[in-house]
Amino acid sequence: MKSQIVSRTFVRLHSSWAVTACSITLLMCVPGCGSTPAAWFRPNMVEATKQRLTPDQERQVATVMLAMFGTPDAPIALPETGLDEAKLQLAAGPVHSDIVGRKNGLYREHCAHCHGVTGDGLGPTAAFLNPYPRDYRPGVFKFKSTERSDKPTHEDLVRILHNGIPGTSMPSFALLSPPKVEALVEYVKYLSIRGETEIALMRAFFELDDEAQGKLPETREFLVDEMLTPVTEKWKAAADALIAVPEMASDLDLAASIAKGRELFYGDKANCVKCHGPTALGDGQANDYDDWNKAIVEVSKEVKSGVERAGETSTSGMDSEALAEHRGQLAWLDKFGRVLDGGDALRPRTIQPRNLRHGIYRGGRRPLDLYYRIHAGINGAPMPAAKGTVPPEEIWHIVNYVRSLPYELDGELGADRPMVAKDRF
Amino acid sequence: MRICSRNNADDFGAAVSFRTPLMAAALLACLLTFGCSPERVSTPGADAGRAEQLRATLSTATGGGDAGGAAASTGTGWGTLKGRFLFAGAPGESKPLMVDKDTEICSKAGVKLVDRSLLVDPATKGLANVVVFARKASRVKETTAPATPLIFDQKQCEFIAPVFAARVGQPIDVHNSDPIGHNTNIAGSSFNQLIPAGQGTLYKADAETGMPTMVTCNIHPWMKAYAVFRKDGYVAVSAADGSFTIPDLPAGEPLEMQVWHERSSGPNGALGLDNPALKWTPKGRFQIQLTPDEVKDIGTLEVPASALGT
Repeated sequence: MKSQIVSRTFVRLHSSWAVTACSITLLMCVPGCGSTPAAWFRPNMVEATKQRLTPDQERQVATVMLAMFGTPDAPIALPETGLDEAKLQLAAGPVHSDIVGRKNGLYREHCAHCHGVTGDGLGPTAAFLNPYPRDYRPGVFKFKSTERSDKPTHEDLVRILHNGIPGTSMPSFALLSPPKVEALVEYVKYLSIRGETEIALMRAFFELDDEAQGKLPETREFLVDEMLTPVTEKWKAAADALIAVPEMASDLDLAASIAKGRELFYGDKANCVKCHGPTALGDGQANDYDDWNKAIVEVSKEVKSGVERAGETSTSGMDSEALAEHRGQLAWLDKFGRVLDGGDALRPRTIQPRNLRHGIYRGGRRPLDLYYRIHAGINGAPMPAAKGTVPPEEIWHIVNYVRSLPYELDGELGADRPMVAKDRF
Repeated sequence: MRICSRNNADDFGAAVSFRTPLMAAALLACLLTFGCSPERVSTPGADAGRAEQLRATLSTATGGGDAGGAAASTGTGWGTLKGRFLFAGAPGESKPLMVDKDTEICSKAGVKLVDRSLLVDPATKGLANVVVFARKASRVKETTAPATPLIFDQKQCEFIAPVFAARVGQPIDVHNSDPIGHNTNIAGSSFNQLIPAGQGTLYKADAETGMPTMVTCNIHPWMKAYAVFRKDGYVAVSAADGSFTIPDLPAGEPLEMQVWHERSSGPNGALGLDNPALKWTPKGRFQIQLTPDEVKDIGTLEVPASALGT
C-alpha cells in the first residue's frame, strides 16, 4: 500500500501538469531577482510634444532640470526657491531609515502611488480614482485661503494634509507627526516649483530667436532669473495674497440670512443655480472641464483634426521639402497620440458641479472655507469668483443658505421631479 | 478497500487535457514578460555630465554677466505697418455650437450660434481675426496705456469680439449685455468673475500674454473668444476684410512681427506663410524695418487652406 501511494505521488510529480506548474513558479521568480532601478522624474511629455520639441531639446530640458532640481532620491533646492533642503531630504528617496533612525522617503510612502513620483498625478492608482489626484506641475491648487490665481499658503497645504479632502480619495494624514507633515508640504512645493519651471523651459523654445538654433541659453541669468524666479516669487507672495474676510455680524438673524441667501442663490447676480442646479444637486450642467482635463481635451482635439487633415492631404505632386514637412507632421501626430494614450495623460473627465445637498465640502466645511470658495471661486475649476460682484455680507448670506441645504426639506424642486431620499446620499 | 487500481498518471492524463494548463502557462509567461501597462513614449534622458557642469554654474553667485538687455534703439521717428490677409480656399460651413442652456435667451428668435474660428468675408475673401504683434520693440510712442476702457461685451450668449487685443494696464470693461448672468474666464490670468446681467467689471491685464489666450464662460461653455495683451500695445487684429494696421511702430530698427490665427496648424497657433520677401518663418514671424513716417503696406498675404485646420 505504502509503496503504491509513493509510486502514485512520484508519477504525479512527473506529470505534464506538475512540470508546467513548476516552470510557472520559476518564471515568476526570475523577474523578481535583481536590483530595483532608481526612481526618476518623468518629463512633462504632453507639454514637450505640444511645443514640438526635438529629442535634443527634450534632452536639454531634462539636463537643466537635473542640474536645478536633482533626482527623486537626491533633491536639490536652489536658494532662490526658499525651500529647506533638510525637509526635502526627509521626504525624498526610497523608504528607509537614515543614520539617526528617522524614517525617510515619506513622499514615496504616502503620496507617490496616487500623485506619482514626479508629482504629475499619474501614479499607478491615478487612473482608477475619481476625481483624479492632483497634478502639481501647473502650480494650480484649488482649496486655499488666497485670491484666485495666487498660490496656497503653507498653512493651506498643511490643512489639506491634516483634513484630507472629504469626498475624494485624498485621505487625512492627521496621524503623521508635524515634522513629517512639514517635510511633505515642502516636498509638494518642490515638485510644483519643479513642474512649473519645466513647463516654462519647454515654452521658452518657442520664444527663441533663430540665432539660438533651438537651444536654450544655459546661463544663470536665463535659467534662474527668467525661468525659476517668476515661479518662486508667486509662492513667496502667497502669504500676502490672503483673502480679507470681514466677519459675519454676530447678531445676524440666521433665518433671514438664509432667506436672503436663497434669493441670491436663485438670482442672476451670483448665478449659482446655473451650474449647481435648481435643486442644488449639482445637475445644472455636465459639459465643462477643470483646467487639467481641459488641457488634454484641447490637445486631443488638435491631434484629431491634424490627423483628419493629414488623411485628406494628397502627397502626389509634393516636392521633397513639402513631403518631408508632411512626414514630420505625421510623425508628430503619431507621437502625440502615443503620449496621450500611453500613460502620460489620463482620459479626460468632465467636472461635476458640487452636489450641495450632501454637506460634503472638499475644501473644508467651516463657514470661512465656504466664504473663500465663493469669494475667489476655485482656481483650476469652472467655479467663478463672486468677488467684486457680490458684496461680503451677501456672500455670508449665501454661505448660510448653502450650509442649510442638506437640512432643507422643502426646497424648490424641479417641477417634474420630487426629491427622493437617495438624492441626499 | 479497493483503491483505484489503474495507473493514476493515465487517469489524470486522460481526464485533464494537456492544452489548458499549457495555454495558461503561456499566457502567464507573456504577461510577466511584457506586462499589461501601456508602453510609455520614450524620451532621451538627461546628460548627467552636462548637468554637473550646469550645477556648478548655477551655484556660483550671480557674477556681472551681460544682462542681454532690450533691443538697442537705433532710430527715431515712427512708422505704420499695414497689410491684408486673404484666405485662398473654401471656408466651408461653420459648425453650429451646442447651445443647451438658457435657450430662451441664447437661441432667441431662432438664432443659431456657430463656431467663428474661420471667418472669411465672402466678397473680398478677407480673413478676419488674424493677430499681428511686435515681438520686441525698443521704444513706444505712448509710454502709458490709454485710459479709456476698451469694451469687451457679450450678447445673446456670445462674445461680440471673437478676438480682441489690449495693452497691459489698459482698463477693459468686461460687459454683459444679456438679461442673464455670465462669468468671464480669461485663461492664464487671475480673472474668472461673475458678471451680472446688464453690468460690467473693469479689468486691467497685469502681464502680457505670449500668444493669445482663451476667454470662456463657464456657465455657457460654448462661448469662446481670444484675448491678447501686449506691454507696448503694438498689436492688431485683422478686420472682417482681412486688413490690419499697426500705427506708431518705432522706425529705424529691425522689427520681428508674430502672426497668429486660431485655426492655424503651426506651433501655438502661429501662422507660417510662404513669403521669403518678408523672411516669414514657420514659427509665424516676419521681419520689417520702417523709416520715419513711412506707411509700409506689405500687401495682400495669401493664406492657403493647408495652413488652417478643418
